[in-house]
Amino acid sequence: MNRYWIYVLITCALEMVWVFGFSTAQSAWHWALVILVIIIDFYFLAKACEGLPTGTVYAVFAGVGSIGTVLMDYFLFEGSIDLLKLFFIGVLVAGVIGLKLSDNKTEEGMQ
Amino acid sequence: MGWLFVTFAAISEIVGVIGLKLFSTKKNLKTGALFLGGFGMSFFLLYQAFSYLQLSIAYAVWIGIGTAGAVVINMVFFGESRNGSRVFSLMLIIVGVIGLKLVS
Repeated sequence: MNRYWIYVLITCALEMVWVFGFSTAQSAWHWALVILVIIIDFYFLAKACEGLPTGTVYAVFAGVGSIGTVLMDYFLFEGSIDLLKLFFIGVLVAGVIGLKLSDNKTEEGMQ
Repeated sequence: MGWLFVTFAAISEIVGVIGLKLFSTKKNLKTGALFLGGFGMSFFLLYQAFSYLQLSIAYAVWIGIGTAGAVVINMVFFGESRNGSRVFSLMLIIVGVIGLKLVS
């Protein structure tokens, strides 16, 4: 695994941290931490894009974020997860990943 | 209310992405404000949406509208390809968003 994929892992993990922070932050220093995590997250997102196709990086980022928030709803916030909701989230994410990956072809076409 | 917030959060994100593009070629106050203001606004509105909608739904719709909107803008104004697979992906996003709106 090359180091750019490690950046992808870091950016996905940090994304989960700030999404969780958004739902739970209460004091000013919580917010300072959340904003710091967002900035570091986007730094690693940009770093990952230096060595990997941008579309692939964003497709993974969006896919992991969607699965992560579903799991968070289920395990941390005791939200109801019905099959119909999961189905439409899946359809939506399939569309996002399809578009992101098609960006890679456009990039190659330009080079 | 939550749906309004998440829609405007996605639109702000697109503004931020356009700002980032402009800022990377021409660094001045206007492009910088568009870039930082767009992303700042997007996160603020997403946070507002989280207090009305389930986390997973707000997140998926945010990323869906943001991605679809950016692609449509690129197709309409910057002449990006409109091939079948991209249009199909766009339709999947639209079906997903409408479906989620109906079941939640």
